[in-house]
Amino acid sequence: MKVRGTVEFRDIEMGVWVLAGDDGKTYQLAGGRSSLLKEGQRVEVEGDVDGGAMGVAMVGPVLRVHGFKVV
Amino acid sequence: MRSGWCLGGALLLAAACAPSPARTKVTPAGSARVSAVPHALVIDFRDGTPAEEVAERARRWGLPLRFNSVEGTRSGIAIADGVDDVDAALARVRGDADVEVAEPLVQVQALAFTPNDPEFGKQWNLRMIHMPEAWDISRGKGVTVAVIDTGIAYEDRDDFVQIPDLAGARFVEGYDFVNDTTHPNDENGHGTHVAGTIAQRTNNGVGVAGVAFEARLMPLKVLDRSGIGNSADIADAIRWAVDHGAKVLNLSLGGPGYSGVMERAVAYARSKGAVVVCAAGNSGQGQVSYPAAYAGAVAVGAVGPDGQLAPYSSYGEALDIVAPGGNTRLGPGNGILQATIDRSDFRKPVLAEYQGTSMATPHVAGVAALLFAAGAKSPDEVERALYAGARSEGAWTPRAGHGRLDALGALNALGKTAPGVDWTPLVWSAALLALLLLSLQTKVRPGFLNVLLNPATLLPLLLSTVGLWFLKLLWQRFIGHPPSAAEVLSLPLPDWERILFGRGRLASPLMYSALVPAVTALVAVKWRALRPVVAGLSLGFSAFLLYAAWAKAPGIAYLPFTFLARPWLVLNGLLAALVCRAMLRREARR
Repeated sequence: MKVRGTVEFRDIEMGVWVLAGDDGKTYQLAGGRSSLLKEGQRVEVEGDVDGGAMGVAMVGPVLRVHGFKVV
Repeated sequence: MRSGWCLGGALLLAAACAPSPARTKVTPAGSARVSAVPHALVIDFRDGTPAEEVAERARRWGLPLRFNSVEGTRSGIAIADGVDDVDAALARVRGDADVEVAEPLVQVQALAFTPNDPEFGKQWNLRMIHMPEAWDISRGKGVTVAVIDTGIAYEDRDDFVQIPDLAGARFVEGYDFVNDTTHPNDENGHGTHVAGTIAQRTNNGVGVAGVAFEARLMPLKVLDRSGIGNSADIADAIRWAVDHGAKVLNLSLGGPGYSGVMERAVAYARSKGAVVVCAAGNSGQGQVSYPAAYAGAVAVGAVGPDGQLAPYSSYGEALDIVAPGGNTRLGPGNGILQATIDRSDFRKPVLAEYQGTSMATPHVAGVAALLFAAGAKSPDEVERALYAGARSEGAWTPRAGHGRLDALGALNALGKTAPGVDWTPLVWSAALLALLLLSLQTKVRPGFLNVLLNPATLLPLLLSTVGLWFLKLLWQRFIGHPPSAAEVLSLPLPDWERILFGRGRLASPLMYSALVPAVTALVAVKWRALRPVVAGLSLGFSAFLLYAAWAKAPGIAYLPFTFLARPWLVLNGLLAALVCRAMLRREARR
């Protein structure tokens, strides 16, 4: 799936990078190149929501990143 | 007629003025520590000694003597401070005929254990839940708490280290479900931080303190270096923990996805007598994450140092309790400080301040361990004490659950929280009965005592207001700990829904309504002998529902908005009262 949104760092738990999606959802970003993780960067992420994933961040579904492009 | 309504109204008002049982009082620990205040003394003059005479003696003895309070002119209690030689002054004073007692002034304070950990002063979170006072009662000795997380920095092995502030802490064997080894070392820092809140080595002159520092920690690693794991590993770890003797399970983790496997694991843990404490989630929205949202779990939300729900904390229907989780938006020092490993170098011990519902959860798990160590026998007992001891404004709410965790309150509530007999609904029903009878015409009005002395009416009335209250007492006296069915039957009849629907946070609208009175009344239309029974039942339901509405408890399931619960209860209470009135009237005409 593809999700458009803004990359943000949240100071929750150990700190977590999220994609504040234009669909209104907050995704926890997992995997992907470090160039994705820039505060405020507008991107379109290609990836899969990992429905079985659980973690310490608990901010929203985990999005396993396969690739992205800056928009 | 009109005066009758007024009388009934007055009775209702009198019943409404009875104290609310929904509020929880927290009393300080029973014992106290006494120490002398330097350079100060207290003199108890003969009662009624006037101020002028006290002033005259103050000059004669050279003491800055003054009445202790406005009560002084009656009690004669005066104090002086800044006295160089208290003993010499007391010797001068004691010869006076008007002096009944003279002694050094002593300071009295509730006993409180203050650990010597150098950073303890920064742990506002532990003071907020009254840990110093609670430590005098319990420190969690002998209870095993499983930390199901990223592992714990608990041993020096290969590159891994034991952090200094866990040296000497008690550990039992754990497991690493991520790498399938028996060495659940932490590569992330989260699990070590959480374990620290539960049982950081305390009073060791190093770092910070932990809630249940005499408890044993069981490290179970289910999350990888990035803090992510899967439901299968977590479900396995939950079962592993209880099978290896853990009484408290801390799950500072979660996700939005429901998992039947994990829900069964939580139910299994509970059935084996363990308390499962889970983080409510950090979405900041009205939806508690899993596993916290499963029925057998204690869902923990987070508050900041101001006691307000933290902006990131999830909340909602499944929330049980809130605990300090920090709010760093209020500035530095407002997170939860604990010893752990550096998040970018797991070989480096650090003191770190984090915020999250993960940080709130181990406070509750730690207090659960204190409760088990203090004699709690079952997860039900632990949860009742946690909720009864929590600081709250009244009933359960979606943003505070049962209130804010209080360790001292929970320990004081332990053993006192078995649902006692609450006679208030019965008082309400008597008032309501008077009102209903007075609303009937004189010629169809049966006497007040005639109704109450009729066993056919009185028994269902008792059942629906106080339940089989004696059952539980007899069971405890002659058999032992009553099974949950006996506990439920000891409750008012509308609460027997718990047999049908289990222990939920919300009451079922089938039983918390006028449905039962209405249906039985339909039967009584044909079968006249049933009318006194239905009258008693309806009266009891009516009083119970109105009382529940007044006491703001509990929420009703399936209603679209929380605020509709009270109108629902009032409406159904009035309907049940109408049924009762109809039954009384027909009975009178017979």
